[in-house]
Amino acid sequence: MKSHTTRAFIALAIGGVLTLAAFLGAFFWAGVPDFGFVRTAERTDSVRYQGPFDQEIDEARYLANFAGYDVEVTAGGETVRGDLVEADETHVTIETADGEVTVSAAEFETGRVRGSSYGRPDWGQKIFYFHVPVAEISFIVFGFAAFYSLRFIMTRKREYDTKARVSMEVTLMFVMLTMATGILWTKAAWGVWWDWEPRLTTYFIMTLLVVAYFVLRNSVEDEERRAMYAAVFSILGFIDAPISFFITRLIPSNHPVIERGGLEPPMLISFIIAQIGMIALGYAIYQLRMGEMLLKDRIESAKTQLER
Amino acid sequence: MASSSMRQFRAMLRKDIVMELRTKEMLMSMGLYSLLTMVVYFVALSQAGAGFDPRDIAAGLLWLAFIFTSMLGLNRSLVHEKDQGCLEALLLSPVDRPVIFFAKAIGNLIFLLVVEALTIPVFAFLFLQGQAVDVSTVALIPLVLVAGSVGIAGVGTLLATMSVNTTGKDFVLAMLFIPLMYPLLLGAVTATAAAIIGGPEGVSLFWTGMAWVIGYDVIMLLASYGLYEFIVGA
Repeated sequence: MKSHTTRAFIALAIGGVLTLAAFLGAFFWAGVPDFGFVRTAERTDSVRYQGPFDQEIDEARYLANFAGYDVEVTAGGETVRGDLVEADETHVTIETADGEVTVSAAEFETGRVRGSSYGRPDWGQKIFYFHVPVAEISFIVFGFAAFYSLRFIMTRKREYDTKARVSMEVTLMFVMLTMATGILWTKAAWGVWWDWEPRLTTYFIMTLLVVAYFVLRNSVEDEERRAMYAAVFSILGFIDAPISFFITRLIPSNHPVIERGGLEPPMLISFIIAQIGMIALGYAIYQLRMGEMLLKDRIESAKTQLER
Repeated sequence: MASSSMRQFRAMLRKDIVMELRTKEMLMSMGLYSLLTMVVYFVALSQAGAGFDPRDIAAGLLWLAFIFTSMLGLNRSLVHEKDQGCLEALLLSPVDRPVIFFAKAIGNLIFLLVVEALTIPVFAFLFLQGQAVDVSTVALIPLVLVAGSVGIAGVGTLLATMSVNTTGKDFVLAMLFIPLMYPLLLGAVTATAAAIIGGPEGVSLFWTGMAWVIGYDVIMLLASYGLYEFIVGA
C-alpha cells in the first residue's frame, strides 16, 4: 500500500521535472518553424525576413500571386522585365519603363520572380510538445487497459480488473487532454475548431469508446459480471486504437505526421524529454489511483470485520 | 461431435424462427420502425430544395435506418431470451457457448436481412422515383448488405447479450454499438453510395468499401466469437 504512494510521488517528481524541462527547452531552446511562407511584409508585427527570393516559373498562371513583384518574362523570343501588374491563365501584364506590356499565356516560355521572402513564425507548433506526448500516452495506457483486461479474462483475479479500470481512467484523462489541445491547435492551424478528418474522426470514436466503457461499468450491478463485461468491451474497443494511430499513414489526411529525421536536435531532445516526462506523470496518476483503490479495499474489509 | 453441434445449432435457430413466426414481434416492430424512419427522412429533407439530388445521400440514409432498426431488433431478441429464462436454460444444457453465439447471430442476421430487403424497395419508391441509377452496379448492393449485416448481427449479438443485463438497456447498447460499428458503417456507406452512383470509378470505390467491411467482419467476428463465452457465462 505504502509502496504505491511512494512510487507515485517519485514518478510525480521525475515527471514534473522532466515535463518542466521539456517545456523550457521547447520554448527557449528549440526554434520556431515558419508557418508556410509569405512574400510580403504586410504583417510587420509577426513576419520574419528570410532572405532574398528568386524563383523560376514555367507557366503564366503561376505568376498570379506575385502582383507588384519584379518579374522577368521570356515570350516569343523576347524578354520583358518590370513590375508585374496582373497574371492569370490567359495573359501576363507587366509595367516596364516604356509602359504596360501584355504577353499572352500561349507565348509564355519562361519567367523569373525576384523579391524578398518572409516567414510567419508558427507559435501554434509549440503545442506539439504537449499534444503529441499526451496522445501517445493515451494509446499506450489504453493498451495497458486492454492487456490487464485480457489478464483478467484469463485469470479472473480481481486485481486485474482494478488495474484495467484505473488504466482506463488514466486513458480517459489523457484522451480528454489530447482532444482539448488538438481542438485548440486545429483552430490555430486550420482555422476551424473541428474537421471530420480521418485521424480526428477515429480518435473521436476512441474517446467515445472510453466513455462507453465507464457507462457500461456504471450500469452493471453485479460485481463479477461488471468486471467481465468491462474487460470484454475494452478488448473490443482497443481494436480502434491502432486504426487511429496508423490511419494518417494509410489514407490521405491533413493531420501532420512526424517524419523520421524531420526534427532539429533541440526540438527532438525537448520532444523526447516531454515524452518521458509525460509517461512518468501517467504512471504517477496510475499509482496514486491504485493506492487509493487498495485503501478503499482495506476500509471495506475493516468495516466487515467490525460488523462481525 | 460436430454433427451434434450442428443439430443443437439448428434446433436453436429453429426455435428463434418459429417463435418469430408465431408472434411476428421482431419483424413487425423492426419493419414499422424503419417505415417511421422514412417519414422522419421525408420531414428532414422536405426543405432541401429543387437542386437536391437524393442519390447523393441515399446510402447514408439507408444505413442510418438499418443501424437504428438493428439496435431495436437486437435488444428485443435478447430481452425475450432473458425475460422468459431461455438463456439460463440454454446455459444449463450441454451446449457449446460458440454454438449459442452462432445460433443467435444467424437468427438476428436473417431477421435483419428480411427487414433490409423490405426497406430498400420502400425507400426507393419514396425517395428515388424517376432518378437514373446504374442498374449494373446497383445489382452489387446485396453483397454489401449481406457483408454489413453479418458484422452488425455478430458484434450486435455480443453487445446485446451484455446490454440486456445492464440497468439502462437500450441506451447502453447504443453507447457500445455505434462507436464500435463506425469502421463498418463507413465502409458500407462508401460501397453503397458508389454502387448507386455507378460508373467505372464507382465499381472500384465499391470494392474498396467492401474490403473495409469484410476486413472488419473478419476481425470483429473472430473477437466476438472468442469473447462470447465469457459474456454469456458471466
